[in-house]
Amino acid sequence: MTADESALRELRSSVREFLEDKSPEEAVRKLMESEPRFDPAVWAQAADQLRLPGLALPEEYGGDGFGMVELGVVLEESGRALWCAPLFATVVLAAQALLAAGDAAACAQHLPGIAAGRTTATLAVAEDSGSWDPAMVSARAVPAGNGRWKLRGRKSFVVDGTTADLILVVARTVAGPSLFAVDRMATGLTAEPMETLDATRAMARLTFDAVPATLVGAEGAGGRIMARVLDTASTGLAAEQAGGARRCLETSVDHARVRHQFGRPIGSFQAVKHKCADMLVQVELAEAASREAARLADDESEGFPVASAVAHACCSRAYMVAAMENIQVHGGIGFTWEHPAHLYFRRAKSSQLLFGGPAVYHERLLDRLGI
Amino acid sequence: MRQDMQDFAAEVRRFLDAHVAKTPDRTALTWGEGDDSMAYFSSLPPEEEREQVRRAREWQRIRHENGFGWITGPQEYGGRGLTPVHDLLYDAIESEYDVADTGVLGVVGLGMIGPTILAHAQSPVKDRWLPAMYRGDAIACQLFSEPGAGSDLASVATRAVRGSGGEWVLNGQKVWTSVAQHSQIGLALTRTNPEAPKHRGITAFLVPMDAPGVEVRPLRQMTGGADFNEVFLTDVRVPDDHRLGEVDGGWTVALTTLMNERATVGSEGAGPVAAALSPDRLSALMRATWTWDDRALRARLAELLVDALATEHLNARALRKLRSGVSPGAEMSVSKLMYGQNLTRAAHFVTDALGPRAIADTGQWGTYAWTELLLATPALRILGGTEEIMKNILAERVLGLPKEPATTAAKEVRP
Repeated sequence: MTADESALRELRSSVREFLEDKSPEEAVRKLMESEPRFDPAVWAQAADQLRLPGLALPEEYGGDGFGMVELGVVLEESGRALWCAPLFATVVLAAQALLAAGDAAACAQHLPGIAAGRTTATLAVAEDSGSWDPAMVSARAVPAGNGRWKLRGRKSFVVDGTTADLILVVARTVAGPSLFAVDRMATGLTAEPMETLDATRAMARLTFDAVPATLVGAEGAGGRIMARVLDTASTGLAAEQAGGARRCLETSVDHARVRHQFGRPIGSFQAVKHKCADMLVQVELAEAASREAARLADDESEGFPVASAVAHACCSRAYMVAAMENIQVHGGIGFTWEHPAHLYFRRAKSSQLLFGGPAVYHERLLDRLGI
Repeated sequence: MRQDMQDFAAEVRRFLDAHVAKTPDRTALTWGEGDDSMAYFSSLPPEEEREQVRRAREWQRIRHENGFGWITGPQEYGGRGLTPVHDLLYDAIESEYDVADTGVLGVVGLGMIGPTILAHAQSPVKDRWLPAMYRGDAIACQLFSEPGAGSDLASVATRAVRGSGGEWVLNGQKVWTSVAQHSQIGLALTRTNPEAPKHRGITAFLVPMDAPGVEVRPLRQMTGGADFNEVFLTDVRVPDDHRLGEVDGGWTVALTTLMNERATVGSEGAGPVAAALSPDRLSALMRATWTWDDRALRARLAELLVDALATEHLNARALRKLRSGVSPGAEMSVSKLMYGQNLTRAAHFVTDALGPRAIADTGQWGTYAWTELLLATPALRILGGTEEIMKNILAERVLGLPKEPATTAAKEVRP
């Protein structure tokens, strides 16, 4: 199902209204220094009132059956508000991994809880190198009889890793990288929070010591699943980045209009004006790239993998440029702790590097283009 | 898509299908085969250029006969009376077809000067020239820029003074005039009141290009070609009914033209230039030059393609807006800025990959030919409004930032 333009506008304004109310700057600042780094009551309201966790999940699993286009609108708004919530890890990383695995039993077991907002989830792939390439995975899974498995190894950079109820883990078997589901209460699992550049996105290091796990999808299918998940996750992240970049531009423009120096608004100086125009160019490209990728994902177009790589690269750069120039336009106040500009700067850099950074996604793009 | 837009699009396709073939894919190629020209500006020999003008006029006549000659124009002058959105949609669909290049007629004449004549000219001029222009019979050029008046167009110095018979006598020099050598008429900005503040002393005239005293000289560019001209006006007599707008009120006329100039942004991807941004073509070039695994070049190639593909997405988004009957917002201006930057980066990427093969011609296919594009790229940051002016427009009109404080002269013209 695809919502038309007016339905998308309506979705955007209801999510924005919700986040202006529930996730103003004070709330973000309070949450980024607490544990868990989100407000379960607000998450429950997002599920009950706006049905956000299930928006892009199939109806048969209790979702509303929309796609990446609609989810993209929510992620743009979430990125814009720096919303501290299990949205990205649960809905983009974990739910998309379950769907990509094509495992009906696992979907039926986990997705209804996710859709209802009862279950939060995440995806653990990277280890200490930070690489999301399944070929780099060293965590191992061995059969434990009766179709059960046991996991050993360590995962890092796991988004919401200390709080997620369900953890999907890529681990190696004799057949190759495979996807497993682990309950966070499982014995042998320890989770410690990592200190993060971007305090609004919690990350953890997980240690698996013979942790009971369930195989999701076929054994050895981890590489194929991850290729699909990374495309979808990059597209989702790109939407978040585009939303954050747009917010930085708006903040800069508002400031440049009212801040006077040398007897005139700084926005009347061509140097500042051009800086803002450059930001606008980046933001327009970012929105176009992320929304096109989402559209192609929903159309199951063969152009999606390329579009996803373009969106990730384009939005990563746009957000970084916008976050940097936002501080520059604000001058001295822009690099104080009290001003929100650094929160966006931190998020921009962190998102740019989350899946490996420019060198990695440039090669991914060239690879997809057959170059 | 809205129903009326859908009907219009279908009608356009029926017309085009009946008259022309679809555009061949210029991005697909076999290395070493076919035309390797990468010229951005046409530098044709005079005979071929005349033939190109003839074909442009012929296609315009066919468009006109089928109701697509002037989609936004009023019916009394042979127009269709539809919206600019219909016009843009027509262009978008036509770009899929292999039609004659009508740039010589369209970019300046039909896109900018026609609407200005309609808005400001006196009846005899409208009756005489508008139908002729949109039928493809008359080509128009824009006699605005001068050696001393580029981005600051209000500084024009070409003088127009009243002659004894009530006609006007023009003297001065214009520059950067596209298609002047093929034009029958030119829209000139002249200074009629040197005492008034600069915006207030300007008058606009439609000058018949065959009038005695009009001399067109080709202006050679850094590419070596001559797409532009200098136009010298020496005691050129123009009747008063060829005046547009009020005496000393020419700035309003100029603004109409400039507004239309901004709406006539070129669409990306046409012609051999599409090849410059084609992943297949660039990939083939890296193989042919043995730079395939050069990490620094690969990173630059990826950056370049990200921008080129994201700009395509931006254009696709603008097009979808058009199809549902919505005017695009900032997309068109952003696209124009990116167009120049993308081609510039592509030209430098390729020539850097070619190395010495870009500084002297070895005769090898697809190598030195790229210098044609390279040498055209500096112009892309200047033509049709410099990059700086375009950024001012984005900042002021899209983002709502305050204007630069007015100069003394501009302050005086404020009401």
